[in-house]
Amino acid sequence: MKALAAAALVLFGLPALAQATQEAKPLEPGREALAIPYEKYTLPNGLEVILSVDRKLPIVSVNLWYHVGAYHEQPGRTGFAHLFEHMMFQGSRNVADDVHISMLEQLGATDLNGTTSFDRTNYFETVPTHHLETALWMESDRMGFLLDALTPEKLATQKEVVKNERRQGTEAAPYGLAQEEAWHALFPLPHPYHGSVIGSMKDLDAATVDDVKDFFRKWYAPSNATLAVVGDFDVAKTKALIEKYFGSLPSHPKPTKPQVAPVKHTKPVVIRFEERVATLPLLSIQWLTPGYFENGDATADVLATVLGTGKASRLYRRLVLEKQLAQSVTVAQQSQGAQSVFSIDVTARPGVSTDALLKEVDAVLEDVRKNGLTPEEIQRARTRIDTRMLAGLQSIGGFGGKADVLQSYNHFVGEPSYVAQDLARYESVTPEAVKQFTRDTLRPDARVILHAVPAPRKQAPAESKERH
Amino acid sequence: MRRLITALVSLSLAGCASQQKPTPAEPAPAPAPATPAAPADAEAFRATAPQPGKPPELVLPVFQKATLDNGLTVLVSTRRELPLVYAGLVFAAGSAQDPVGKPGLADLTYRMLLEGAGTRDTVALDNALGDLGTSAMQDVSPDGSRLGVRVLTRNLDGALALLSDMALRPTFAPKAFERRKKQQLADLVRRLGSPNALGQLVFLSSTFGSTHPYGHSATGTPDSVQSLTLEDVQGFYKKQVGPAAAALVLTGDISLEDAVALARKHLGGWKAPAVPPAAPPAPPASTRQAVYVVPKPGLDQTVMMLGRPAIAAGNPDEFALDLATTVFGGFFGSRLNMNLREDKGYSYGAGAGIDPRLGVGPLSAATSVRADVTGPALGETMKELHGLKSRPITEKELEAAREGLIRAFPGSFETVEGLGSSAAVLFMKRQPLDEYSRTVEGLRTATAAEVQRAAEKYLDPATLQIILVGDPLLIQEQVTPLNLGKLMPVEPDTEPGKPRATR
Repeated sequence: MKALAAAALVLFGLPALAQATQEAKPLEPGREALAIPYEKYTLPNGLEVILSVDRKLPIVSVNLWYHVGAYHEQPGRTGFAHLFEHMMFQGSRNVADDVHISMLEQLGATDLNGTTSFDRTNYFETVPTHHLETALWMESDRMGFLLDALTPEKLATQKEVVKNERRQGTEAAPYGLAQEEAWHALFPLPHPYHGSVIGSMKDLDAATVDDVKDFFRKWYAPSNATLAVVGDFDVAKTKALIEKYFGSLPSHPKPTKPQVAPVKHTKPVVIRFEERVATLPLLSIQWLTPGYFENGDATADVLATVLGTGKASRLYRRLVLEKQLAQSVTVAQQSQGAQSVFSIDVTARPGVSTDALLKEVDAVLEDVRKNGLTPEEIQRARTRIDTRMLAGLQSIGGFGGKADVLQSYNHFVGEPSYVAQDLARYESVTPEAVKQFTRDTLRPDARVILHAVPAPRKQAPAESKERH
Repeated sequence: MRRLITALVSLSLAGCASQQKPTPAEPAPAPAPATPAAPADAEAFRATAPQPGKPPELVLPVFQKATLDNGLTVLVSTRRELPLVYAGLVFAAGSAQDPVGKPGLADLTYRMLLEGAGTRDTVALDNALGDLGTSAMQDVSPDGSRLGVRVLTRNLDGALALLSDMALRPTFAPKAFERRKKQQLADLVRRLGSPNALGQLVFLSSTFGSTHPYGHSATGTPDSVQSLTLEDVQGFYKKQVGPAAAALVLTGDISLEDAVALARKHLGGWKAPAVPPAAPPAPPASTRQAVYVVPKPGLDQTVMMLGRPAIAAGNPDEFALDLATTVFGGFFGSRLNMNLREDKGYSYGAGAGIDPRLGVGPLSAATSVRADVTGPALGETMKELHGLKSRPITEKELEAAREGLIRAFPGSFETVEGLGSSAAVLFMKRQPLDEYSRTVEGLRTATAAEVQRAAEKYLDPATLQIILVGDPLLIQEQVTPLNLGKLMPVEPDTEPGKPRATR
């Protein structure tokens, strides 16, 4: 809807900076530093622009989110959004083949990358201030003219590169294949989260040049992207540059996001996997939980922190310190657009069975279902979340830096400065809410349980007795 | 040089959200149009890369220093934008000070500092940190160790009270020690399940020799850790930890004056005799005798590592070598990565770099390649190494590496933790406070002849050890014809009580 206002202004021949400057929502005393002043507007072709000035260093971050990820892939074409991300670095009409990264590198770029998730794909670089125009030129060239330079040879090479990436992260990585199997079970077909972001070898092999063209035309339109510029720059000059490089890119209708019914598990799925790479058994328990910013998502964050962050956390304390059955514990709420995943991963000590670990984890969860958490635990988790959020704002770009924070809020709730509302979610988490969440959502009969156990031959000698 | 760690470590990074990997230096065509657009095209302006404006002044971090009466160094870098401070204690002794036969002692000792201090046990200490919104970050490296926290400015005083308890008043409780030791042992079993960790272990012993202070991993081996006692830990602590061998690093929302006052308050009364250790001796000259093969039958990828001991921090060749290594394998656009990844598609990424330490540190190159191209990939790597002599580094390559490294400096100092870790490195390597200006100057003034000489000297393929982790039969079949030396199988010590590996 904001796009319309912007479009109207253009009729007057102005660069489309339409949207009135927005001020970030006021934050509670003590949290002022979390506010990010920004300005947002939309070009006539639908490209959203977010500008935020931060003058601490003579650098500027250019950060583009395309609102497409692995969620939008077709069956039999898993891994495509990510493979396409690789193609975006291979050259476009005016940027020579294969030099995108090296050109930026030799200008002194840092935090230079692209990443793909289920919900979105992003591209970013932080450059010395005098190279801002070059970064905008390069980003606009691949947004507008990628297909002019596409060749079957380039696609063939990147398919190999991505297959190596997959081997490195999946086949040859500890628990890589085991975790993939659990993920498939969590999101049965036809749910669009079923495949891994990296895709399968078979689907990667099947990708064609026509697939790349179709994907680009459908999803990489200016109307499906948001450009953020954050750092030390001149606002008026930068607006003019954005108009110059992005303003004339042709407009396409904004693609519609597929609607998918949520998955519900009604009985547990148990996977026993013979692990070939790792040397210690892993127990991983996973549940489907509410999507990012939905009711329950913040509760899950707080619970994950209380269960697994720090040596005094409930699971670490019981499993690692007191009973000495486990080597490490990781608990996370992985927040995603359609549905999130809450996971508890416990690595066993040599010789300890994952079934023994499961009993212990269940005892801890049962206690939370019955008695909830203490107010002190919740307060500690909130202080951690506050500090972490502030620390994320130290970098203007890169993974989770200021540009990503603005983009993320914009992507999921349409409002770049949502930090006050985001923090308010955590304020409302109560012991009672956690108890309820653990009962209703983290149900014993609605989960995937993965036992990834190395083949006996490869396992190190038992240090305590074998319990299989 | 900071990039060099990435070369070895980055291979193990891979998350659910997969990412394109910018590996650490290289030549690339200057911004220039690929195909000129047709004339009369309204978009023709795009064919010409923009001309950069006037470069901003290079902003480098400023470090300030004070010394307390008890010898404690206080290092500060002020950055006021956000109410955040990194507070860290840096200890001058690291895994290079592990006594012979006791690899892993420094690591276990420093980890014990978190297992109870002052009046608090492990859990109470962790809860006290949690109340301040933080957890302790800890790391043990060859040249020293760090224990630090990142806190809101208002929690700094409380955090320093806890840090000083940990450094000055560790409890070293026997029960906690037994538990921690078992956990370290199990962690070794876990690490040895990672092909990269296996490769690094053999890399260290084959490049430095297993008795050199840099020749073992900080975490030790199952055998050595099994033998460690609480007396060993207390002995190490007593000998190595004290104010004259430590620094308090405070970076972010804090002034030098406030830092000194806080240091006096919390650490001024610290008395202990430890002094900073001497630099490790230079390792023996490097010549390849064999190719080390760590067998992992059926592994889908082969981990390849090449390297040698190279230079210590402050060596006059440092900046020329940094530039040479950057052109060879330090950037994404480097010769090695462009060949193995972008031309051949053998790998997800390949990189190289140097790690100048207090003593002579390693130069390394590393990649993981599809198993069935192990031979060709190693062949291409050797070709690129030989190429440094037959195809000398061009002016264009050199200038790209120079400008890229120098201009990236400000971007590398955005966070208080980043500033803190730079300060820690200065202390551990005994470098001057203006080291970063010196680095920029060194990169700026290294001549093409110096860079070429450094490339030929330190990247001479005959001096590089080769370590391969992967399927032994396949390696035998594909690598033997390259005639790089006899293939020598190495099974790192993975279980307590087992006979030691070859070296």
